[in-house]
Amino acid sequence: MDTTIYVTGSGIISAIGVGKAQTLDALLAKRSGIGPLCHLETCHKELPAGEVKLSDREMLTMLGLADDMPANRTSLMGSIALREALSDAHLLPEDLLRAGYLISGTTVGGMDYTERHYLDMLADDTHLSLLRTHECGATTEVMARAAGLGNVRMTTLSTACSSAANAIIMGCNLIKTGRADIVVAGGSESLSKFHFNGFNSLMILDSRPCRPFDADRAGLNLGEGAAFVVLESEASARRRGATPLIRISGYGNACDAFHQTASSDNGEGAFRAMRQALETAGLTTTDIDYINAHGTATPNNDVSEGTALQRIFGEAVPPVSSTKSFTGHTTSASGSIEAVICELALTHGFIPANLGWTKQIPGGITPTPGKAEADLHHVMCNSFGFGGNDSSLVLSKVTTATHPLPATHHCEVYVRAVSLHKAGEPSADVGKYLPKLEARRMCKLLKSAIFTSKQVLEAAGIERPDGIITATEYGMLENSEKFLTQMCRDGEELLKPTLFMQSTHNTIGGVLAILTKCHGYNVTFSHGRQSLRDAVLDARLQFEQGNARTLLVGYHNELTPTFSDMEHRLYGTRRQAGEASVALLLTTEADGAVAKLEELDLDALLRDVSDGSKPESND
Amino acid sequence: MESLILELKQQIIEALNLEDVTPEEIDNDASLFGEGLGLDSIDALELIVLMEKNYGIKLKDPAESKEIFKSINVMADYIAKNRKK
Repeated sequence: MDTTIYVTGSGIISAIGVGKAQTLDALLAKRSGIGPLCHLETCHKELPAGEVKLSDREMLTMLGLADDMPANRTSLMGSIALREALSDAHLLPEDLLRAGYLISGTTVGGMDYTERHYLDMLADDTHLSLLRTHECGATTEVMARAAGLGNVRMTTLSTACSSAANAIIMGCNLIKTGRADIVVAGGSESLSKFHFNGFNSLMILDSRPCRPFDADRAGLNLGEGAAFVVLESEASARRRGATPLIRISGYGNACDAFHQTASSDNGEGAFRAMRQALETAGLTTTDIDYINAHGTATPNNDVSEGTALQRIFGEAVPPVSSTKSFTGHTTSASGSIEAVICELALTHGFIPANLGWTKQIPGGITPTPGKAEADLHHVMCNSFGFGGNDSSLVLSKVTTATHPLPATHHCEVYVRAVSLHKAGEPSADVGKYLPKLEARRMCKLLKSAIFTSKQVLEAAGIERPDGIITATEYGMLENSEKFLTQMCRDGEELLKPTLFMQSTHNTIGGVLAILTKCHGYNVTFSHGRQSLRDAVLDARLQFEQGNARTLLVGYHNELTPTFSDMEHRLYGTRRQAGEASVALLLTTEADGAVAKLEELDLDALLRDVSDGSKPESND
Repeated sequence: MESLILELKQQIIEALNLEDVTPEEIDNDASLFGEGLGLDSIDALELIVLMEKNYGIKLKDPAESKEIFKSINVMADYIAKNRKK
């Protein structure tokens, strides 16, 4: 097994530029990309954002694609970053066919196009085909095709603002366990009216340029963009004669298990993710020369993250900056955008600035104004998401001493318990698991996810699993649909924060973690019906690294009558509306197992709960 | 004031899905958050939407709401003084 993983190429697009050269320029010149909105059609023009300064048409032209290509903004930006990453690594798409993998992180997916035509899609078939590219995974497929990677194995992670960081982590694990030689990993997220209004309903958007770690900070500015890194095993890089840019020397994923949209006061999830990243890197706190913080500039994040940093680094916190002061918060793409910024800092020897800071948070950390020249050896890059999905990466200069990543061991995986909730069945009764006050605002899918998960945990006699891996297609569709409908019909005012808070795909995994007090590994896959297969694969990766002995794995998907109808009109087949759940308790212990994992027919389980499958996209 | 208080309680029960709570059960002086009714920060955001939708009162800073949402009496008093509709 190869335990040294290099980045041999990367690509980036954000508000501060297209490509690494422009990005580096802006970082060194301390030039922020945050400004008035130009492309997003919203009535909230008073709110600044970090928009990519290109229209969709300009991006199509740049990519040499036809004007009518069914590519949304998320996939266009993704393709631009993917192409740069491949060319930077001197890779051709065919090099990835044998042992390559593409992992993207997104949450918006195709929502930016769906929201433009949603009422039309309900009314007639003119724009109905947008449904094909609505899901997160479908967006990854479109961007892959546009970058020539249509036939490469791929998947999509959706853990809100840590999606791209988790894509990088999974990529490293695929290489470490010998399942891939090269993984192109990152994320892409366009601004959408949907999440712009969602964040606005949570009252965490600043009407001025954001000021991370400032005492008077008043929220974040949303941004957009994409970035991908080419992760490569040492053997593959040597074989190809590729020049490593940096090394991924450590990483950690933990769950805050505290609240759906807020971080805990002591930053427990962040603390655990950073500690794990340092441990896997074999480094101590004094080895870290720079930290690219999550630093959203919300009152809550910056205090919580600052506390977690102080818990890890004590009095000697290394220089910290949030480059969201340049790019805005690029949500699902931020993990890879900031990883590429860290790569630039390591290879060009500078510390990126934290713009907009003037006033010290009493007792809080003091961010760095940046440094034009700095010899950096190891840097840390933090990405924290809604649902408490916290991840941290340690990136190192190639010339530093290599510390092998922890070894992996093949192990047999067993199924201890299975529980199903079929679409169309009465809503699951979670009365015995949850106080009414907590259950009152949960949608039906959350209830079926909680019910089936608690069933398998009870059957296995386990209160708290070591980790939680969730798979979904549309995510919390009932809530998304209500929010979308209200926004399209009644306008962008008075939207309900509860609906938005529970619309992100990783809500389920986050809620399950809170209920089971599980701070362990926690991710969510959203790549159509293959999501469950990918979740099970990721479970194996965790077991093989000794990260877990028990994992709660589930497929939880919701189809509303409206979307069931739209699917029927578009694909000609109808799936039963309702919430479909498959909960599995996986373990490495043979005792009490009902089956070996490979004996489980995942497709049959999916058919069983959702009644009929959606045909593969054939465009 | 009494009718405003009843109306407000009904609106809160609906907006926050407090299905099993009746207006009579909500103590006018009890805390809405924490120990009292047990609401949280997301509920506070929902109440901000409720005030704007039903009474035309727009709060810019969620921190302002802490004082206003202390109890039903405090909230009703604030609404009576500041309502635009």
